[in-house]
Amino acid sequence: MFKFIPNDLPLPLPVGDLEAVFLPVFHVLLVVAFVVHILFINVLLGGSFASVWYNLVGVVKGDKTYDRAGYLMTTPVTISENMGALWGVAPLLIVSVMFTAFWYSSVLMISPQILHIIYGNIVAFLFSYLYKFSWPYLQERKGLHLSFGVASVLIFFSLPFVFMTAVQLYLTPGTWQVGMRYWDVLFRADVFFRLAHFFLASFAVTGVFMMVFGASKRKRPEDAEAGEVLIKTGKSWFVVTTALNLFVGLLTFFQFPSYGIEAFYSSVYPLILALGVLTAVAAAGLVLRQFFVTDTSPGTTKWVVVLMAVTVLSMATSRHGMRLLLLKPAIAQMNVKTAEYVASVKAARAEALAAPLVAKAPSTPGEATATKYGCLACHAVDKRVVGPAYKDVAAKGYSTEQIAALIRKPNPGNWPGYGQMPPMTAVTDEDAKVLAGWINSARE
Amino acid sequence: MFDYPLFEMPVLGQRMLFALDAVLHVLVSHGAAVGASIVLATANWYALRTKDERFDQLVYKLLMAFFIVSTAIGALTGIGIWVHANIINPPAIGSLLRVFFWKWFIEWIVFNFEMVLLLYWFLKWKEWSGEKKKYSVRIGIAYAVSSWLTMAIITAILGFMMTPGGWLNDEFPPKVNYLVSLFNPSWLPSLAFRTFGAIVLSTGFILYYTWLFTRNDLALRERAFKFFSKFLLGAIVPAALGGYWYYLQFPPQAKALFPQALMTTQYLGYKDIALMGIAGLVLLLVLLGFFFFSRPKLVPFLGTTLAIGALVILTGVFERVREFSRKPYIVYGYMYAHGIRVDDVPLLNKEGILKHAVFVPDSVRTITDENRAEAGHFLYRTECKVCHTLNGINPIVDRVRGMSEDAIFTRIGVLNSPATPWMPPFVGTEEERRALAHFLFLETQSVIPGVELSSR
Repeated sequence: MFKFIPNDLPLPLPVGDLEAVFLPVFHVLLVVAFVVHILFINVLLGGSFASVWYNLVGVVKGDKTYDRAGYLMTTPVTISENMGALWGVAPLLIVSVMFTAFWYSSVLMISPQILHIIYGNIVAFLFSYLYKFSWPYLQERKGLHLSFGVASVLIFFSLPFVFMTAVQLYLTPGTWQVGMRYWDVLFRADVFFRLAHFFLASFAVTGVFMMVFGASKRKRPEDAEAGEVLIKTGKSWFVVTTALNLFVGLLTFFQFPSYGIEAFYSSVYPLILALGVLTAVAAAGLVLRQFFVTDTSPGTTKWVVVLMAVTVLSMATSRHGMRLLLLKPAIAQMNVKTAEYVASVKAARAEALAAPLVAKAPSTPGEATATKYGCLACHAVDKRVVGPAYKDVAAKGYSTEQIAALIRKPNPGNWPGYGQMPPMTAVTDEDAKVLAGWINSARE
Repeated sequence: MFDYPLFEMPVLGQRMLFALDAVLHVLVSHGAAVGASIVLATANWYALRTKDERFDQLVYKLLMAFFIVSTAIGALTGIGIWVHANIINPPAIGSLLRVFFWKWFIEWIVFNFEMVLLLYWFLKWKEWSGEKKKYSVRIGIAYAVSSWLTMAIITAILGFMMTPGGWLNDEFPPKVNYLVSLFNPSWLPSLAFRTFGAIVLSTGFILYYTWLFTRNDLALRERAFKFFSKFLLGAIVPAALGGYWYYLQFPPQAKALFPQALMTTQYLGYKDIALMGIAGLVLLLVLLGFFFFSRPKLVPFLGTTLAIGALVILTGVFERVREFSRKPYIVYGYMYAHGIRVDDVPLLNKEGILKHAVFVPDSVRTITDENRAEAGHFLYRTECKVCHTLNGINPIVDRVRGMSEDAIFTRIGVLNSPATPWMPPFVGTEEERRALAHFLFLETQSVIPGVELSSR
């Protein structure tokens, strides 16, 4: 039993009468959109880091090849920041609609920090554009130029901290508490290992990307050397981070709540996960065989891409499996609770509709008008409620016209010690006079 | 809001937090994406047809400015609307998503085309020359069409919030009629208004940048101003007509709130001045349009700045009026602004918010004399803080200052009365209402505002 489980929204999932068709579609869309989103984000993080790194090396070594390699990386960065943000929307939509209560609870607990993914991102985008578009003009001002790049990289790298906290929190409703905040979650072990796993994977994916990108750039004579540099870095990044991730990945897995790990163990997902690990090891082996060869064969690169595509899909599928297994008992509890809640809403609503409206018939046209405009909500004839009693208003000796004007433009200065009355602009001229006459009739 | 954890935005308030992101998004998405894509695609075609290379280069510079603004600010504040809605009114955005998921999904697919086409148009511009320029024009047109389509779909959802049409029936939970929700009464009128409004808004930005980019080429400025100000003048009348058609669709209760929406209650008496101000700004735009068209070389920088200023103010006012006049609802007739469904009110009035809210501290689950203020604070955060802050913007403490605890109690009981028709009703038991009144009363008495109690 989970202590805090929100009700589901009492509206059906948008599957119409075709649940059997659409529900699997949701799952497939979620996995696929997540994969595309994460791959773009991987290249954004690794690529923006590589660009700044090459730029720096170019300055230190005085080598134009590195400067060129760094500049070449800015185009994939521009594309991946835009496509990465765009492909983040689809998973956001699907998670919001499928796991509504869990996702919203989680993002609320880490608010307002969740807004960093918007405002931090905007600043990072602007810095990355400044970095890219000022490249030719700031060749002599490298310190300034590098600082633009470093600023964008630092901010881009700070975004996954917020995201991963939200993700890990919505998958673990058993850890929820009242008053839980972003910083309570950020420093949890499960969040730490998922972030480590993710950042390493970003460099691995960017490594593969740079092998492909470098190979295509190498074909143009003016970029042959820069292409070589990209391939060389790509190979090291890929092999080193993939090896590390074999260990970090295992530790990440064991940070999940035990009930999730046990359910995972008895499902088909471990096989899928194992397949992904095997293809990653095989891809790393292929790269290692040609690690010190300058002229990496296109065949090797192609196989690495194919093997890693299998790894990425298997990781995404088994991650989705873990997501479903972690939330399954919570969703079951939510469904029971929601059904009970909806039943009592129905009952109370029926009761309220059946209850006869008891309204005292107004005795005079003045009272009827006062009822119509809701005056009697705050005023009574002979006692102070929210506003003054009408007999006290009448005692001030205003003319009917003055009261009619004050109804529509009250003057709080007349009644110190009372709250401010809102201007009753909806009252018509005639009705205002009726009201004013009635109020003055309370004069004793 | 009683289903989810509480998050508070002091001083600024959640309303203003949302408004900042949303208005920024509207300015950029309408001005730099939808409107500008239509105008710049036409300009690209015109430059090619008249073989005007200088004009073509100007269009590229403008495209670069809009590329940066649309992708960095427009797209992200658009996603930002999601995220803000997620944390400010989760039951509302969640319900909208249940009704509109596939439309949103289609919008996202179109958004993909929009983004790819924009990246392609901008990043490939310099590689296309001579005969190949025609590809650029085609990509530009495709980009304009796709960015208009994303707006068309989103407008349906915005229209739905104001005029849900016949999707709502007497059943509980309601059955959703997906087609009726899409073709709700204000969809097409608001789309017409926003389309032409976007063109007008974009010409404001375009003329502003054009002035800056043509400081050393007055002949080019003349050609460009003549070309772009035609869009300003041509779109302003259909925008006004679309706006009127849209206005006709508002429910009468919403129309009645226009004065408050325009001026806030405090300055209600100056409603006529505000209306004249708006008419004056529109007139100013028309006059500036004629000036830009007939005497382009004489236009000072201040002229283009004035046009932008007028457009930004008009956009902000429109969005505020649209949002405010929907009150007391967030989805008309279905859910109140504080995220409580109309249908849930009888149950919650009978059994209480504190019984059904999820993230309630154990210490206030049952109200006692000791925890009354704390429970009231919780209720304030559940029902009031979506629009009010304690002592910041739209401060609730000022609304009840000077009232006795009993008066506050009475006032809370009649929130949704003709005096304040935009307020949703307080929902909860009488004891809960008493607790909220107690908390608010103590806040008015607090020596250092906000410190003594709200820090609890």
